[in-house]
Amino acid sequence: MSRAPHLGWRLATIFTWLLLLFLVAPIVMVVPLSFSGNSFLEFPPTSWSTRWYAAFAGSLDYRQAVMNSVIVGLPVALLSSIFGTLAAIAIERGALPGRRILAALFVAPAIIPQMVLAIGLYPLMVQVGLIGSFPAVILGQTVICTPLVFLAVGAALRGYAPSYELAAMTLGAGRWHTFWLVTFPMIRPAVVIGFILAFTVSFDELILAMFLASPTTRTMPRLLWEQLTYEMTPTIAAATASILAATGVLLLVAAWVGRRSTVRLDAAP
Amino acid sequence: MRRPRPWSPEAGYRAWIILPALFMLAFFVIPLGRVLFTSLSPADGIGLGAYQALFRDAVFSIVLLETLRIALMVTLGCLVLAYPVAYVVAELRGRWQRLALAMILLPFWTSAVIRSYAWLVIFQRQGPFNQVLLGLGVIDRPLRPLNSGLALDVGMLHIMLPFMLLPLLSAMWRIDRRLLLAASVLGAPPWRQFVHVYLRLSLPGVAAGCALVFITSLGFYITPALLGGSGTMMVSQLIYQQASRLLNWPLASASGSVLLILTSVLFVLYQRIGQPRTARRARPPVAGDVAEGRA
Repeated sequence: MSRAPHLGWRLATIFTWLLLLFLVAPIVMVVPLSFSGNSFLEFPPTSWSTRWYAAFAGSLDYRQAVMNSVIVGLPVALLSSIFGTLAAIAIERGALPGRRILAALFVAPAIIPQMVLAIGLYPLMVQVGLIGSFPAVILGQTVICTPLVFLAVGAALRGYAPSYELAAMTLGAGRWHTFWLVTFPMIRPAVVIGFILAFTVSFDELILAMFLASPTTRTMPRLLWEQLTYEMTPTIAAATASILAATGVLLLVAAWVGRRSTVRLDAAP
Repeated sequence: MRRPRPWSPEAGYRAWIILPALFMLAFFVIPLGRVLFTSLSPADGIGLGAYQALFRDAVFSIVLLETLRIALMVTLGCLVLAYPVAYVVAELRGRWQRLALAMILLPFWTSAVIRSYAWLVIFQRQGPFNQVLLGLGVIDRPLRPLNSGLALDVGMLHIMLPFMLLPLLSAMWRIDRRLLLAASVLGAPPWRQFVHVYLRLSLPGVAAGCALVFITSLGFYITPALLGGSGTMMVSQLIYQQASRLLNWPLASASGSVLLILTSVLFVLYQRIGQPRTARRARPPVAGDVAEGRA
């Protein structure tokens, strides 16, 4: 189609940028809100201060929740990376029987409503005595984060021919040598991206944390949620803006890693 | 009992599935199976008692229908808004395309709690939404979008739009532009080039995007809980209420099972759509097809 800038195309372009603005604006709005000098939520703020950041940084609850989110998020990202990578290699390279069903099993947790998983995991965690502990939240969130790594690594493995591994093995390399010297270097960007995305999702996850954590192990989203339901101070905006900044940095790192690989951040599940 | 097998590079990798599969079995399959089982076994022996209780009470049916209605509206809304946008973004080049992608990905990876919170601020009584409308003189007293369902619709559209845009974009990027040129050379007017070539070839993206948005919308909890006001309830909210406030696990499990079965069926259909097409259908349409209108 020749792209003469006729009216329809111009209108579509204007519409596109308006919609993209609609996508970003509410999120960006949180930033000025967090620097508000007012004591209740008002947008745009009529005066400015950093006191909500001071309140955020000074709050014991928030400090502990951030700590808890990291304590939960790192093992979740690590376990998801291990499980997702192992499953992706086995399914992409292992010629497994029933691989379509297995592949669906490793994608499904990203799609199945978390509320259903939560009411299934809760009694299980009560039974094994883990309820309210960090391992309970970690195991639960690893289930929903594994698909991210699985999809990223699977895409990376489909991106190059298995003949590299075959060559290594023909030359006498064992399974582990082949993995560490050939496969892993090829899929490393995907694993790193999967790790970051898993950490991000864990850091944002609310529903499993609501059911499986206790007041001492509650993560950031759960604290935010509890705060949201009974008070609406700009402290929440400061906390939110901080999370947003952290998420943004992590995604920039992921994008930077992805630049040198075939894996994309926009690989929707 | 060990029998030597013929050497193959695949064989060794098979064992790598064991650890992740066991993990998924223990913390995904068994918990979901447990939900199904609990829904069948209220105190008085295995039976469909919980389901009877669920459907005898009008609340569940209303909530389920409301959930389906919202999911459908959000899916259609996303499709109508996202299609032209994906079309334009797929045509963009260089840094404009990178900027557009960043603007889609930022909300995609921002937590639903944060985004719902942002909409809560916008739609509150003194919020920017009312201020702008009052300022423009469109309304003379503040609206209450949080109770009318408007806030929920806008919030869910906002959260689900990237889920529609990304599959659409990936389908549109794959369209071979030479096919449009071919159609045009063969005398198809622009609207026919679009309908018979571009639209057709973008349909897998449309199907994938719709399935993804619809399935995900069915399970929403955070956004309706925060933006839905008192008038609207979605299934996940009902499950939460039944489980943690009423402590009625058979009932919560029955609601959960209905939601689980519904999403699983749709997920299987989605997987079918996502699979590579058969060879015949994967063949890119050739010029003859285009001219005859069966591309």
